[in-house]
Amino acid sequence: MTISTELGRYVGHQLSRPLGHVGGFARMSSLTAKAAFRWPLQWRELILQSWFLLSVTMLPTILAAIPLTVLLTFTLNVLLGEFGAADISGAGAALGAVTQLGPLTTVLVVAGTGSTAICADLGARTIREEIDALEVMGIDPIRRLVVPRVLAATIVGSLLNSLVIIVGLVGGFVFSVYLQHVDGGAYLSTLTLVTGLPEVIVATAKAVSFGLIAGLVGCYRGLTVSGGAKGVGTAVNETVVLCVIALFAVNVILTTVGVRFGTGH
Amino acid sequence: MTTATVIRARFPRTVNNFDNYSRAPGQALDGFGRMVWFTLLSLGEIPLTLRRYRSETVRLIAQIGMGTGALAVVGGTVAIVAFVTVSGASLVAIQGFASLGNIGVGVFTGFFAALVNVRIAAPVVTGIALAATVGAGATAELGAMRISEEIDALEVMGIKSIGFLASTRIIAASVVILPLYGMAMIMAFLSPQLVTTALYGQSSGTYNHYFRTFLRPEDVFWSFIVAVVIAIIVMITHCYYGYSAAGGPAGVGVSVGRSMRFSLAAVVIVAMNASLALYGVDPNFNLSA
Repeated sequence: MTISTELGRYVGHQLSRPLGHVGGFARMSSLTAKAAFRWPLQWRELILQSWFLLSVTMLPTILAAIPLTVLLTFTLNVLLGEFGAADISGAGAALGAVTQLGPLTTVLVVAGTGSTAICADLGARTIREEIDALEVMGIDPIRRLVVPRVLAATIVGSLLNSLVIIVGLVGGFVFSVYLQHVDGGAYLSTLTLVTGLPEVIVATAKAVSFGLIAGLVGCYRGLTVSGGAKGVGTAVNETVVLCVIALFAVNVILTTVGVRFGTGH
Repeated sequence: MTTATVIRARFPRTVNNFDNYSRAPGQALDGFGRMVWFTLLSLGEIPLTLRRYRSETVRLIAQIGMGTGALAVVGGTVAIVAFVTVSGASLVAIQGFASLGNIGVGVFTGFFAALVNVRIAAPVVTGIALAATVGAGATAELGAMRISEEIDALEVMGIKSIGFLASTRIIAASVVILPLYGMAMIMAFLSPQLVTTALYGQSSGTYNHYFRTFLRPEDVFWSFIVAVVIAIIVMITHCYYGYSAAGGPAGVGVSVGRSMRFSLAAVVIVAMNASLALYGVDPNFNLSA
């Protein structure tokens, strides 16, 4: 046995599990995409899941958005004050809220709470062999369970994005005008100075893709749970890690694209 | 038969709902009290833990630094925190370069990176990455121990379970965060520079001048303090939710989600309070002077 075959075997052994996961995820995503366009859609499950996800993510979103807004507005106002441009604090707040705060908070909340909830739910069903039972009965778990959850996560992602933007704009107004003594009229009139339709479209696109990715990852890890109670916990943990990594990477790419096609150019 | 009984029998679900709503504030208060009590206990048992469970603490330091299971394959906590800080810091540079360029001061990207990354982005991003990797892992581990009655077994054997499981993890997290955050800081310094000079073609002399001028050592010091505080709070939260998990395998999953939700809000609230306390009165930089 030569060293090179030993090495090749070792590398293959080390890579087989992660690559298997990548392949499994790709397979589930394509099956989900195929099933999403097949009629009839599980409307009841979709509405129930959207309601459930919203009820889980709404409060954390607001709780995370308010401090971030204060941080952002505070820093930007100090900065603009130094330039002698405190008048355009509305422009800074709008730019921050729409381009970064909205998508970023959506990322964190959807990854941290939405996909964990999906993964915990599906994982518990998997280890109780309910998914196998569905398959035995001839019901496709992807169509019945995964598609409504992924669609619900996508819808909820885009809704949360608008919620964060609203919190950001209103919070920025309150903080700037009442605490940092920026003129209220100036704040309102400069809101749309550097933030226009392209920014809003990019932000919505970001939120939609974050919801989609988080839903897919949560469903995939939920359906591939093994190893009893400890397995569910580990799967949920891995879901959070994978989502945070994937979503940060996607955010960088989409921001670069957004900056290129933004209003300012 | 009284009216209340009749209504209860006629509309059982509505009455149940009302009961739940009226009980919710009390339950929330109850949960909060339990959390505070857990915090006090776990912090109070730190001296005892340092005397008695030293080897377990050392084992956890290694485990938290490197991660376990599938996490270790991709490089553990270190690689994940590094990756997330690189993304977060480059985001600051990309957005900062574009937005400052809009008002004609693109040269200030270095200043913007020094200010925003050190004061806001790095602590928040590291805190969230820590919660997602180490924290959620601890909740899953402790939750699995709780529902398979291993924690009860510890108590029966005369081991202080909070000291052995929670205090050790809190000590380990506060030890690990220092080198981890040091590395996150380096990433947060290098990646905006790379983005601004290599991708956007700003001259590196300009970038370095503004970056070095406005990078204050005190800011970096306070940033470290904030990161340590965040790490301790995140660890206490996640240990609490794992320690008090209930309801079988599904319950463990649910408590991981709950702990994530709580620590998410906690991280940003700590960062906001720190920022307002440190820079609220005097922002400590003078562009024009």
